[in-house]
Amino acid sequence: MKKYLSIITVTLFLLALNACQKGEINSLNTPVVGGIITDPSRSDLFNLVTGAESGMRNSLSTYLDGTGIIGREIYRFSGAEPRYTTDLLGGGSKLLDNNTFYITNPWSARYQVARQCFILLDAINNTRTEVASDVQKKAFTGFAKTLIGYQLLLNLNMTNTNGVRIPVPNGATLGPVITNPAVVMDSILKFLDEGKADLTGSEVIFPLSDGFLGFKNAAGLIKFNRAIAARVYTYQQKWDNALSALNESFFDLNGPLNNGVYHAFSTNGGDLANTMYLPPNGNGEIRVAHPSFATNIIAGDDRITKTSLRTSSASQSGLTGNRDVIVWTSLNAPISIIRNEELILIYAEAKMQKNAIPDATVAINRIRTAHNLPVYSGPPTLAALITELLYNRRYSLFMEGHRWIDVRRYNLLGTLPKDRPDDDVWPRYPLPQSENNI
Amino acid sequence: MLLPKSSLLVLLCLCSTLALFAQQNITGKIRDAVSGKPIPGVTVRIPNTNKGTITDADGNYTLAITAGTTSLMVSYTGYKTKTINLTPGNNVINLTLEEDFARLDEIVVTGLATNVKRSNLANAVATISGTELNGVAPAQTFDAALSGKVPGAMITANSGAPGGGISVKMRGITSVFGNSQPLYVVDGIFFNNSSIPAGLNDVTGAATSGSPNNQDNPSSRIADLNPEDIENIEILKGASAAAMYGAKAAAGVIIITTKKGKSGKTKISLNQETGFTKVRHLMGVRTFTPETAADLAGTADNPDPDVQAKRAAYKAQFTEAKNAGKIFDYEKEIFGQTGLVLNTGISLSGGGEKTTFYLSGNRRQENGIVKGTGYFNNSIRLNVDHKVSDRVSVGVTTNYINSSADRGLTNNDNNGVSLGVALSSTPDFVNLFPNALGEYPRNTFASSNPLETRDNMINNEQTNRFVGGGNIEIRLQQSDRSTTRLVGRGGIDYFNFKTAALFPRNLQFEENGLQGHSIQGNTNNTNTNIGGFIVNTFTPNNNLSLTSTAGATLETGYLDNIVTVATNLVSGQSNLDASANTTTRQFRQKYRDNGIFIQEDLSLIDAITFSAGVRFDRSTNNGEYQKYYVFPKGSISWNIAKMDFWKVPGVDNLKLRAAYGQSGNVPPYGSKFTQMLGSNIGGFPGVLVENLQGNPDIKPERQTEFETGLDVSVLNGRISLEATYYNKKIYDVLLRHALPGSSGYATEWKNSGDLRNKGIELGLNLIPVNRPNVRWNSSINWWQNRSKVTKLIIPPYAIGAFGNSLGTFYLEEGQPATQIKGTVNGDLKLIGNAEPDFQMSFFNELTVFKNLSLRFLIHWKKGGDNINLTQLLTDLGATSFDYDDEMKGTKAGLYRPGAGDASIYVQDASYVRIREIGLYYNIPIKNTAILKAIRVGVSANNFFTWTKYVGYDPEVSNFGSNTITTAQTRGSNGLSTGVDVMPFPASKRASFHVGVDF
Repeated sequence: MKKYLSIITVTLFLLALNACQKGEINSLNTPVVGGIITDPSRSDLFNLVTGAESGMRNSLSTYLDGTGIIGREIYRFSGAEPRYTTDLLGGGSKLLDNNTFYITNPWSARYQVARQCFILLDAINNTRTEVASDVQKKAFTGFAKTLIGYQLLLNLNMTNTNGVRIPVPNGATLGPVITNPAVVMDSILKFLDEGKADLTGSEVIFPLSDGFLGFKNAAGLIKFNRAIAARVYTYQQKWDNALSALNESFFDLNGPLNNGVYHAFSTNGGDLANTMYLPPNGNGEIRVAHPSFATNIIAGDDRITKTSLRTSSASQSGLTGNRDVIVWTSLNAPISIIRNEELILIYAEAKMQKNAIPDATVAINRIRTAHNLPVYSGPPTLAALITELLYNRRYSLFMEGHRWIDVRRYNLLGTLPKDRPDDDVWPRYPLPQSENNI
Repeated sequence: MLLPKSSLLVLLCLCSTLALFAQQNITGKIRDAVSGKPIPGVTVRIPNTNKGTITDADGNYTLAITAGTTSLMVSYTGYKTKTINLTPGNNVINLTLEEDFARLDEIVVTGLATNVKRSNLANAVATISGTELNGVAPAQTFDAALSGKVPGAMITANSGAPGGGISVKMRGITSVFGNSQPLYVVDGIFFNNSSIPAGLNDVTGAATSGSPNNQDNPSSRIADLNPEDIENIEILKGASAAAMYGAKAAAGVIIITTKKGKSGKTKISLNQETGFTKVRHLMGVRTFTPETAADLAGTADNPDPDVQAKRAAYKAQFTEAKNAGKIFDYEKEIFGQTGLVLNTGISLSGGGEKTTFYLSGNRRQENGIVKGTGYFNNSIRLNVDHKVSDRVSVGVTTNYINSSADRGLTNNDNNGVSLGVALSSTPDFVNLFPNALGEYPRNTFASSNPLETRDNMINNEQTNRFVGGGNIEIRLQQSDRSTTRLVGRGGIDYFNFKTAALFPRNLQFEENGLQGHSIQGNTNNTNTNIGGFIVNTFTPNNNLSLTSTAGATLETGYLDNIVTVATNLVSGQSNLDASANTTTRQFRQKYRDNGIFIQEDLSLIDAITFSAGVRFDRSTNNGEYQKYYVFPKGSISWNIAKMDFWKVPGVDNLKLRAAYGQSGNVPPYGSKFTQMLGSNIGGFPGVLVENLQGNPDIKPERQTEFETGLDVSVLNGRISLEATYYNKKIYDVLLRHALPGSSGYATEWKNSGDLRNKGIELGLNLIPVNRPNVRWNSSINWWQNRSKVTKLIIPPYAIGAFGNSLGTFYLEEGQPATQIKGTVNGDLKLIGNAEPDFQMSFFNELTVFKNLSLRFLIHWKKGGDNINLTQLLTDLGATSFDYDDEMKGTKAGLYRPGAGDASIYVQDASYVRIREIGLYYNIPIKNTAILKAIRVGVSANNFFTWTKYVGYDPEVSNFGSNTITTAQTRGSNGLSTGVDVMPFPASKRASFHVGVDF
């Protein structure tokens, strides 16, 4: 019996030993939100900024494809994803769905960045001054608020009068869906203005990718902030505000058109590749210009080179295109956030709307001549100039997410071509289904 | 060395007993009551002791008994237990055993350390014997062999890819986002059954747009188990039976017992299966004409000159191909291969009085229906049991498994690269075959050339696994009235799982893209479980028996998954460092659960049984990791036929039973945190808040199950009926519920509602003919389940598949949990339900002249809808076999995707299937000096199916069933079966069997 007793003792001892492991098992894979906002280190803050900048690229290709397809800039053919040619073009009796990737993914990704920015704001609140001085903290908060404003604008672009919600700080209750775009734009401007105020006199210590090359310090970020503000004022038709925002931005009538702020991409580890790049003459996954791109362009306009003629045209679901989109030339190519060419066009638009026709014409000609076209020789009327402006916005900002929004704000959606008898041109995306779940 | 020593010990023991007691030897022969054949292996023992013996090959036994022994108990699996009273002076006892048709004497495990005779069982516990599992028409893997054999379960093959992958759902929907798959316990060891993705998502992008859920469809690890090692399986379907497994038992428990050695002559058994595997069904492809080929470019009335030029080009391409005889059926080309099946097993079992062993080796090798795919499994098992003394016995089970599966590239993808998706848009007139130099033409109709992909890619899973456990049972004290046992049990399950997915840079979809992928994953997983139990049986008199159990258990798990993705590969290389870019991802998870329990069983005049118990469980996955959650259970059964007043002749079993129990389902690892995922830019490391919000207050789901039933057997067990009704409720259902996207989170973990499953299970066992030369037994099972979301404290929401426009699972209060909703003319409407109306299985075994037997299993699933996106993709790719049929005034293939009606692709997936059919013959042997038996047989597995479902097979699941969540993608949920997106087609197999026993 003694033998068994020892066995029993050992068994019980083992059990007791195991029962002694009492510790909690924490997150083994990633930092957690609760941890990072309490007394963050400098690297914690940097990681949050990098995450925010990086996160702005998530589902961006879905946004650009979606607005590009509805705005009849491109066709997106995919062997695996039918809805680019059905839902988004309104094929058959298809409608835009409120719970499908083309709206839900970019929508969530933009608000996710806003959430990240609020986490950054909370973290800064809890940062000791030894980690970052007050002046340095201001740069973080200014950058965060600028991004929140910009991200909200992209979502407003999609749903427009179907509404958006204003992002709220961590732990706060979500507000209502605001369906008046003017009110939303006021909120966007409020974020941007607060961002500008914080950035003013601040010191940037955090790293940014080379997408922000030339804009990495406080002065540069203010210019970026104001460029976005100029875009918002233009949508609001507040032309004076747009012009004064331009003055504080990196607007340069004679400067390089491509000067501006970009999303950087790379195939490096942990980074994102630019999925807007598809190899020309590919099969299966294809992004071709809408046929009207080539038919409507003025002969000689060098912006035709944003597309290249395919060796063999591509077709799907009764749609055919023969020009590949080559705005982005590799998986490492950047995608613009805002650049000088748009600012020049905003300047032109604001000036013509204020009836400053000569100034507007100068800006228009700056764009025309840069693209191998003769100077503007049409009538100097507002209507004619707006048509000219929209032509230039269409080709200068091709596939940068503008055409659909431009024709919408000038009530010209009806002029967009419908390629198949039952196609539709959608004025806006539906509010995502999840927004009804509250 | 060991053997002589132990025999010496036996001898010594024998001598000592001889010296101590006056004793006598009882001898005899035991035969079958009907056939008169001797039965080997029958246990003859003295009641309430460890003393006993086993009959030899000729049914003979000899047992030394001490003076004062008044009775002997004779038992054998499948026969009725007999107790015989000894009369002094009579030393020769020959007897016959009657077959236990209704399996009333079968011992069923009900607690962690206790068991009960089936005639007193309060639950409907399904039992599958080794023969039923594997003896009709063996399936490729263990999990597939369960199909159609478990009443109350919904078993679905996720994919036809070699290496398994099966979803088992017991009694409806147990959990939506928690674990929905049963716990597998093999000889007391918790056997890990996770599915670990290989990272194919990096190539397919499947989880990038429509759904965040992983669609790699990896195999499930339970498939590693060698079915030939299995002695029997007991299935505890819900909380009322499985409550003693506590917070792991919500989805049911499958208790697997492997074969053990028997003392006596060493038995060597050799089995060889040789067969082939073929695709079960091909959908067929569209036959083009010059006009339909031209239509691929656009309609004939399209004014665009480009379109017209392209039409002409396609027409010319078609005509040229047709004239050259180069019209190809690529579906057949890819999925039409016949694979060779080789399965060799050898086992050795035997032992002495004290030590018995079972040693087996198995090698299964088979090629898939797609070139380059296949499955290879090697398994070795050694089980040893040893009696240290009359009071102490120990047992050890060990199992080493090495398996390798090449699974091809199938299922959903967003890049047009998987075989099926590429096929769906490839018409028959394009030539994809390599030229004389081995160069594959580019497929102008898809992103990839599926023939090139098939011939050059690798998707391999390699498992090295060791599973070992031990148990010790000590009889602490024993008296006439009570026995106290101490049972200790522990086990470890370790595996290393290596995945390698290689896509060379010269593939069509790689050459201008990322220029090759080499994705190598390495996962180490260790699970341990240990438990100790004290069992006291107190029998104050023959009419009353009380069993008390107390115990404690502890389980731990640690999984470490590292996946490295290399792109831009050095030509011809697969090494990770032979590349321009690499990304490494790591995902770890760890848990520790422990529980304590007590249980009391009471048996009255062997006819009435009460049982009650309570278990306390905690887990580090819970928000409150130190809190014990309480799970009670109770049951009662009354076997009226055993009462004194019962005088109805012919009715030998009439039992009423009821059981109630609770169990839990711990939240998945990590659900209490909001993670910050890596997100880099510009060479800087960044973290980005995950769109899944954690919940620090998360707690386990709680299941309560009430089960009641009636068991009747008449005509000496030749007709027996088991009828069960259950009502299973799940409270605090763990949901990843949708948040408004504007919160910055897409979903949040929350205990957010209640579910209910009600169902009926009927089982009828018949032995219509039982004569020495002809015997027919038959069992019919019928079952149905109805699930319902009884409470939802969050708004209804879509939880699965690919969005409303293609049909989605939709959780809504008051509606079935399995309902499918979708957009019909702009409105969200109910368009289907994945739950079958009922299922039925019909098993028959016909034996003539003792040696020839025919066995078959028919399985009928009535109702239950699939979301058939395979058909959608072939319609969009204009390759559906019925594309040109007329539907609503236009071509079917045009009408279906454009109708704006999601219900078109939500389709009834009913089927009737001959799951297994086998004909076996035992060759009678005269000279038994060396050979004991030779068996030959032919079998067919899943060979015949009747269904109206359009697709490769009605059994399918794009999302798998227990895929783990990793750094990149979300795991499976409990509802997503039945989503059909270009799967690896299911296969059927036929085999020839030879078995020899020495």
